[in-house]
Amino acid sequence: MLILKPLLFEELLNGEMTMGKQDYQEYIKRFDGYLKKYIPSKDSWTPVDDALYTPPDLFRIPLKEAYEMQLKSIKYTFLYQYTNNKFYQNFCKERNFSPDDIKTLDDLDKIPLIPDSFFKDYPTGKDFALWLGNIFTGSLPRIVIKESNPTYDEVINAFNNAGMTVSYSSGTSGRHTFIPRDQRTFFISEYAAAKSVISMIYPLWDYHMHGYLLMPNPKKTNVYAGKVCTIYFDAIQDVRVAIDRDITTELIQMTMTDQKGVKSKIVKYFAKRESEKMIDEIIRWLESHEKTNEKIALVGAPFILSFVMKKLQKEGRGFDFSERGGVVTGGGWKAYEGVRVPVSDFRKQVEKVLGIPEKYCLDIYGMVEGNGWMVHCPEGHYLHSPYSYYKPLVLDSEYKPVGYGEWGRFAFLDAAAFSYPGFIMSGDKVRMLEHCPVCDRPGPVLEPEIQRASGEEIRGCAEEVRRMLSADLGKET
Amino acid sequence: MVSFREMKDKGYIPQKTYLKLMIGGGLSLSKVLLTSPGDLKKLRTIHGSEERYIRPKRPYGLPPFTEGMRCGVTEEKYLRPTLHCDPCDPGVVALAHHLGAFQKSDYEFAKAAFEFTKENLDLEICPMNPVEETIQRGAGTCFHLITVFIALCRCAGIKARYKMFAMNMIKAWYDVLVEADPLVKKWYDSMGYFMIEGEGEAYIDGKWVVAHVGPTAERQAAAGIPITKFGEDSLGVWFFAIPGTIMYMESIPYGLGGATNILKKIAPGSMERVNISIQHQNEMGRKIIKDAGGKEAYDAMARKKLGPKAPLIDLSDKKGIVFGE
Repeated sequence: MLILKPLLFEELLNGEMTMGKQDYQEYIKRFDGYLKKYIPSKDSWTPVDDALYTPPDLFRIPLKEAYEMQLKSIKYTFLYQYTNNKFYQNFCKERNFSPDDIKTLDDLDKIPLIPDSFFKDYPTGKDFALWLGNIFTGSLPRIVIKESNPTYDEVINAFNNAGMTVSYSSGTSGRHTFIPRDQRTFFISEYAAAKSVISMIYPLWDYHMHGYLLMPNPKKTNVYAGKVCTIYFDAIQDVRVAIDRDITTELIQMTMTDQKGVKSKIVKYFAKRESEKMIDEIIRWLESHEKTNEKIALVGAPFILSFVMKKLQKEGRGFDFSERGGVVTGGGWKAYEGVRVPVSDFRKQVEKVLGIPEKYCLDIYGMVEGNGWMVHCPEGHYLHSPYSYYKPLVLDSEYKPVGYGEWGRFAFLDAAAFSYPGFIMSGDKVRMLEHCPVCDRPGPVLEPEIQRASGEEIRGCAEEVRRMLSADLGKET
Repeated sequence: MVSFREMKDKGYIPQKTYLKLMIGGGLSLSKVLLTSPGDLKKLRTIHGSEERYIRPKRPYGLPPFTEGMRCGVTEEKYLRPTLHCDPCDPGVVALAHHLGAFQKSDYEFAKAAFEFTKENLDLEICPMNPVEETIQRGAGTCFHLITVFIALCRCAGIKARYKMFAMNMIKAWYDVLVEADPLVKKWYDSMGYFMIEGEGEAYIDGKWVVAHVGPTAERQAAAGIPITKFGEDSLGVWFFAIPGTIMYMESIPYGLGGATNILKKIAPGSMERVNISIQHQNEMGRKIIKDAGGKEAYDAMARKKLGPKAPLIDLSDKKGIVFGE
């Protein structure tokens, strides 16, 4: 099969198209056709919609045009947040920063950033509902909470029953990150994720292909990595789901963390049994599709596919899906950090066991707090950032932006976040390069592997004791 | 003899959250102890060649108590004596007067009590005891130190209480040391229940003002974090409470003292090593502060690195949310 390079934006605009490039435009047109409900009607477009829906390929926009879009869209959203979100307005006022201070692209770097820990520092019960409500930008729909001391899930369900999408991170460290999205922000986020992947994996995507979602069923979880995959069901006709049961915050705490107790043990036991069944089902699905000529795509958590491949290798088996198969991973290794495989080794394993070439094995870096999705390019597997509606930043140890090539804390200005202020600094350590060293996409990239930034921390007296006891126990006698 | 009613009223009987943590921890730790009794040896031993803990000299004198010194304690909640915290003990009263009780405003006095406790009393892992013994010794766990702050405030007629919470693991350390060794992981995780940390709070002008008296400036410098000021919360900055575990208490509950006593009995060697390590941290912190040009200079530098403060959320009603329909 002939693999065609994705179109250059200006060539698209100028109509200088070869047959292959025309194919890309058709490809993305078809994609937009299936995802009409995610695209608002053009008469209601803001600069953010312009920056997201107009470019056929988010990673090939000429820099000049992209940065004009970036300035317009981020400025628009900053003004919206400043005007409609009381806590963020106060936060900006304390830092003497207002919408009038944004005049040039460089001024964007001065936008006050919220530490990601802010979204993890939540109260319980009714206060949790008020906390979420106050993070939300704009007017809330009518949310009815019947319980006198509601659990996290009861509060989230009440918000979501009112038409919102409150979702959270997996919380493997014991604390979730909760983000309230309205339908507009959720649709933008989903569309951006799908478009980013579809562009990078061109020309593999086809609505009639078969997909396996290596995540919880988006309809049965509020974990964002799963929830954002709702669009997968609209982008592909036939999708199977690996984890098809309700996943609540309580269940996650019991299975993903070191929570103790009889209930937790029972849950873990059944989760393990379910996982074994799940792996067998994925293998059966692969077997059934090996016999056809149809395209397949496995999308989701890398550790699930890693377990599948390990089992196949143990049994001395493998498949050859070649260029009709694709793997897109995201969401990290979570509780399975101990069995993490470097992304390059993972790709090699995919090629060896499933026969899917490395160019069709891509990883996505995103987070529950953001709506920008950084995707590996097929050529060099660097993480390409969208740059028309989203500005990635790297901060030094004093939280000031640093130039390309420096390691630092990842932060971003996300114009697509309407329902909460999306100007956030993360806890991840990254290095950003001005251009990809391998492919010809013009925008900035991150090094393929993301690390955790070390934070300042003090040990209280209880932690001092625990640390010493544990250290003593670890000693050789 | 304390009546059951008083025990309940003053909060000597642990709250549900605290009880859950303690029972969970007790069961988990018992299981580990029963299945690996041999490990205990490592916790008990201090080899002859090892460094021994010598408590540093108390850096302050004990002001004398004279008859007629007033104690502001009443029977009102948060103003009365509680477990290990007798604000009318002569040692406490003398110190409170020395710090300006009944002469300074409530805020000024509470600030002075905070600064005295934080900068003069060192961290030392030892069993719980009455507050006057802590003042005489000049050291104790964070709960000893919070109790000194609370006793001084109550003596000066300022309501004061404990704020306790279970803390999340410190991830960086966990990854390096704990994950690497299954035995260590087993112990570390089972001890997670006992990760109760705390702060004091004084009620001033209609608001509870937090006092994070646990670490000295030197220990904070050794950890690379700013020196906490009166009214500054450690929570959300360098401590992260497990959601739902923050508890406000008038008194230290029964059981907290017992836990430290048991620890001292089963792991005297480890306890001594903790105290030695704390002194090393202090020493390192002293050098860091000196190199930075003093406490203020160090603090300004550390605050720059701490990054922006998280925004504050006002939890007043939000239009659109309806409760209890």
